[in-house]
Amino acid sequence: MTSQDKIDALYDYVQERCLWQFFSRSWDRQENIDGILKTATDMLTGAPPAKESPMDRLFYADAKIMVADFKQRFPWLGDAGAAQVRELMAGLKERLVDITITNSKNGELHHTLY
Amino acid sequence: MPMVLLECDKDIPERERHIYLKVEGEDTREFLPISNAATIPGTLSERGCSFCGAKLVIGGVLKDTIQMIHGPIGCAYDTWHTKRYPTDNGHFNMKYVWSTDMKESHIVFGGEKRLEKSCHEAFDEMPDIKRMIIYTTCPTALIGDDIKAVAKKVMADRPDVDIFTVECPGFAGVSQSKGHHVLNIGWINEKVGQLDAEITSPYTMNFIGDFNIGGDTQLLQKYWDKLGIQVIAHFTGNGTYDDLRRMHKAQLNVVNCARSSGYIANELRKQYGIPRLDIDSWGFSYMAEGIRKICAFFGIEEKGEALIAEEEAKWKPQLDWYKERLTGTKMAIWTGGPRLWHWTKSVEDDLGVQVVAMSSKFGHQEDFEKVIARGQAGTYYIDDGNELEFFEIIDLVKPDVIFTGPRVGELVKKLHIPYVNGHGYHNGPYMGFEGFVNLARDMYNAVHNPLLKLAATDIRGPVATPVKEAAE
Repeated sequence: MTSQDKIDALYDYVQERCLWQFFSRSWDRQENIDGILKTATDMLTGAPPAKESPMDRLFYADAKIMVADFKQRFPWLGDAGAAQVRELMAGLKERLVDITITNSKNGELHHTLY
Repeated sequence: MPMVLLECDKDIPERERHIYLKVEGEDTREFLPISNAATIPGTLSERGCSFCGAKLVIGGVLKDTIQMIHGPIGCAYDTWHTKRYPTDNGHFNMKYVWSTDMKESHIVFGGEKRLEKSCHEAFDEMPDIKRMIIYTTCPTALIGDDIKAVAKKVMADRPDVDIFTVECPGFAGVSQSKGHHVLNIGWINEKVGQLDAEITSPYTMNFIGDFNIGGDTQLLQKYWDKLGIQVIAHFTGNGTYDDLRRMHKAQLNVVNCARSSGYIANELRKQYGIPRLDIDSWGFSYMAEGIRKICAFFGIEEKGEALIAEEEAKWKPQLDWYKERLTGTKMAIWTGGPRLWHWTKSVEDDLGVQVVAMSSKFGHQEDFEKVIARGQAGTYYIDDGNELEFFEIIDLVKPDVIFTGPRVGELVKKLHIPYVNGHGYHNGPYMGFEGFVNLARDMYNAVHNPLLKLAATDIRGPVATPVKEAAE
């Protein structure tokens, strides 16, 4: 299984399960993708996730469920070292930003008001 | 190819941009239906009006508020029999209707005095009720009646009452969606932050975008009680006017219906720093996931796992009984917008049901991004579907059951295809673990209902002359 195949698998899971990637505006989507994937990467690499602020705890709540599902569905993630996890999560982030923000056809993403 | 021009739309080719057939390997970067756009002339839309989105979806749910509809009596029509959001105080919101009953002379000479008189009359008749929402309708907006000025005058005369105004006539937007928006933004800007809340738990949240359809809110409230989470405000299922003025006091906003209520959650995050957590409340897998996320936010994961185990032990065997009998059923979902993406994977995963066509009345492109990401290839995704399109899609995908509203439901009944009320439910609640068993039961009973076959039988044989439909 190549790294690309693994990123595909993670990406398919997020597209199908995670509402946070589809918030109303581009900056909300970016904030969620950045925050949740950073927290998930910390958890997958053994670093303590931040839980200080309300937004930290929000990202933790979403990341925790995603990480648990990742471990259950993709056993190869358990064999990956920290460097490879970071590489896979960076690839996942790139794919998510591309589909939900950069190349999204959603005409409401950049309205300045809600 | 994936954007589809149906045969019935050949004279309104613009409809092609609203209908998508998903093909394996494609995603929303390539194709995304146009939505939240004006209905195309020539199409027979199933949409409601913008006033409907404000009053009938959100405001009218409140259990302690007079809903003063400033317009002709017909605008006040939807009540007990068409809306199904009960309350724990005897369904006050569905038992009564308030209207200024505007007639021609009021349109000619102005309706503000009549509105003021109606407000006082309503408060006098119902002395225990101290809260009111006033809505403009098409004619009173067109003649320029200033309902905010009237509300101020009534509040000055009656210091113990509070009134909110919604200026969203039916023509304000392209669908119900505009009414959701106007009410959300009006409420956060004018009413949130006015009252303090008595905090009784270290864990507080608002539950946003759930309207107690068939008792959804009351069912979910049992979960929050067991978890020890205080719900500051329900927006707006079984909710009160004053609780909604306290929304700024919650630690977390949990959002179910992001389409009707995402706006206020976004503003609460922007103005008060309260995080927004979106969940799905329909389906076993989704409900468990939602509970886990809420509990992770508050650091009470063990309580969440105990609740999930208890609920699954009670309801999973019943769900599995239905799953065994529903697996392979083909379902169409033709509702407002969010239920497309809330339901398509939950019925597939929890019940083995295949969703073959989905149509949204008022969804935005955000909703289509969600549903296309979750839905299957080979499924039709339709924005603002019309009657002839529904007929043609039925021929193409041959659904065994259709979840839709009573209007389209009557249409498909003529074809002897079972329909379940996807808006107000047949026998709800449908949210939560118990609720999803209710949904499965209603789907099973609809699919296996012998009356549908009997309804197609004529003991006289082929003597009756079939009436040609206009479209034939």
